[in-house]
Amino acid sequence: MAHELDGVRMGGSPHWAPEDIVGKISLGTLLFSNDYRHIALKGILTSLILLGVGGIFAIIFRTELMVPDVQILGARVYMTLMTLHGMFMVFGFLIPLAISICYYMMPKVLGTEQLLWAKTAQWSYWTLIAAAVLLIIGRPDFTWTAYAPMSLRVGDNLLWMGYLAIVLVAISEFLAGVVLVRNAVAGAARSGWGNLSMMGWGCFSVGILLVVSTLPLGFVGFGLFSDWMQFGETAYFDPARGGSVMFFLYVFWTYGHPAVYLPFIPAIAVLYTLLPRFLGRPMWSYWSGVVAFLLLMIFALPIGPHHFQAAFTISGWYQRLVQIMTLLVFIPSVLHVFNWIATLWSDPIPVSAKRSVPFKFIIASIAFLIYGGATAYLNAQISVDTDFIHNTYWIPAHFHAMFLGFVGQLAIGGLYYLYPYFTGRMYNQAMGNAHFWLWQVGIFTKVTMMFIAGYAYFPRWVYDYLDIPEWTMPQMAITMGAYLIGLGFLIFIINFAWSATHGQPAADDPWPVEHDAAIASATPAE
Amino acid sequence: MENALSLDGGQTTLIAITVALTVLGLVGLALAMFWPTRWRIKYRLEFIFIIGLLAMAWYADWNSTRTYQPYQDKMSTGEPVSGTQVTQEDTFFDRTLTVITFQWGFAFVTEDNKISRNAAIVKPGEKVLFKILSNDVIHGFNIPVASITAEIDPGEMRQVWIRAPDKPGKYLIQCVNYCGVGHAQMKAWLVVEGPEDEEKTSGLTDGETTDGA
Repeated sequence: MAHELDGVRMGGSPHWAPEDIVGKISLGTLLFSNDYRHIALKGILTSLILLGVGGIFAIIFRTELMVPDVQILGARVYMTLMTLHGMFMVFGFLIPLAISICYYMMPKVLGTEQLLWAKTAQWSYWTLIAAAVLLIIGRPDFTWTAYAPMSLRVGDNLLWMGYLAIVLVAISEFLAGVVLVRNAVAGAARSGWGNLSMMGWGCFSVGILLVVSTLPLGFVGFGLFSDWMQFGETAYFDPARGGSVMFFLYVFWTYGHPAVYLPFIPAIAVLYTLLPRFLGRPMWSYWSGVVAFLLLMIFALPIGPHHFQAAFTISGWYQRLVQIMTLLVFIPSVLHVFNWIATLWSDPIPVSAKRSVPFKFIIASIAFLIYGGATAYLNAQISVDTDFIHNTYWIPAHFHAMFLGFVGQLAIGGLYYLYPYFTGRMYNQAMGNAHFWLWQVGIFTKVTMMFIAGYAYFPRWVYDYLDIPEWTMPQMAITMGAYLIGLGFLIFIINFAWSATHGQPAADDPWPVEHDAAIASATPAE
Repeated sequence: MENALSLDGGQTTLIAITVALTVLGLVGLALAMFWPTRWRIKYRLEFIFIIGLLAMAWYADWNSTRTYQPYQDKMSTGEPVSGTQVTQEDTFFDRTLTVITFQWGFAFVTEDNKISRNAAIVKPGEKVLFKILSNDVIHGFNIPVASITAEIDPGEMRQVWIRAPDKPGKYLIQCVNYCGVGHAQMKAWLVVEGPEDEEKTSGLTDGETTDGA
């Protein structure tokens, strides 16, 4: 009994049946249906397209950066591609993909069998599409952080589209947060908070974070728009007209730090849902996971100022408080990782899990979370931050390990898992393995070389750099890593497209838990 | 260009802790996956682990605050090379340079109002105070050889001091905050002059040395 209860709240759930949604769907249904499976499918397909576009941008500017001096891109085009790469990957790929997977899994795991307030989710989706279109047409080059007053003095006369896109992204994420909270609360009403599944807790905490943190983002977008248009006498952020740069920094980073948890927390919720299904047993600890979710949510909001420690706009006890809280945010992440490792260790790993591509992606993503997360210990410290970390390549190394290595790989693993539930067929195993290994080698090369470049003070946001060995060697290697990642992505797309019509039909349970006989008979050490 | 970058940051202990933590996590994950022996971990161990993390956080906070002003080349013994907080009188320093950061470059103004663009000319081992201003957007000010970075908001003044390297040569100064399309070119040189270089001063500054207004 206890085990069954644990099974549900740890992510196990009533049977999910594979079905051929993709094959039967019409375009009208895909675009406007309020069925949770169709909303999720639409979100997933869109985020994969934006991943492809953002990835192509990355491949182009990585080619430029391969060797010093100007090759194919000038400063303006380089920065536009860089800005769109950042915005598409975070706002268009990571956050929507993680949330779309939650849209699909929540109704099944929480037992509601429908996405409540699905119309709100529709509005969230179409607002994001409008933002993406504005970004493509407006081509802003102010980086995803849009620091005022620089962001008011770049671009051409279409730049207002960039500011408006920021407002739309904020609206879209706010609405998605409302949907997630509503469904998590509905799930809690059915099961009670103490038995709410980890998916429910994850969606609840990220929903709250989305609703709270997108308000400052919307204001930042509006303030930049207003300053650029020079509405009336007001100036929020432009110091030349009486605005305040510090005001911008505080408001922006009140969103900017939670922003990195917006894809992070749902990705963790997906991991908590999938791991017990592959292992055929509950997680090691339920409450440490719940506490970790809530701690992540609470600590995310006040620590934004660590992003501009080097600006010394904060000082004294407040600066120290931010440093201490940043160091403490380490703990919920470690609680999660500890929980996962303890779960894996407690009993034999089924051979069925070891064979499957999504499980491999889950394990690899945990490894990258450890790799990228440990460096956060250095980043948090002001003395080290004001040496080689602040705005050198160390920071992109850290967030690519977390965003691509952890969130991206976990979300892609989730897609491999969901594949039979959307197409009724299995993906091609050989191509899945090729994708997996190309990504591990590519991401590890890229992240490690970015750390090395950052330790040698390679500055961010440059298209041209000095010809010194500490800088040229890592840049060449990062580009090679990026090519491997691009190749892996290509194989992934071919696999999914080909298997949708040619793959093996999925069994009634696509993910059976099968132990090797010899291992199954061995007793645990304790 | 010689010795433009210093890779000796001196954070050996901290980096060692980070690497140890990474290895611990990865080894744990690998054992959990591949080692045949299974281990049902007691809840108690997680609490012990958390206490260990709290100790690490305490050490990091203490160490960072202790070394923050001034930052030290070698955490334990060495002579301080740079600092971000200035409590001394200006007379404590051998040289004070006012730095005007702009789109896109650095202008260094000496105490007797000599301006040189993109070259800060100092003597070996001098203690140099930079008073940094911005007149347009947020800029960065990073001197790798002195292990120091500051970010300058328009309308504010930031103070950073360094002890100049003992070895004469050109050392990189760069902007690390995106400040517009010219950001990649926003670099300057910390020129440490040996005694024999003195007569060549104007040559190193692209002929931009002029009398201040």
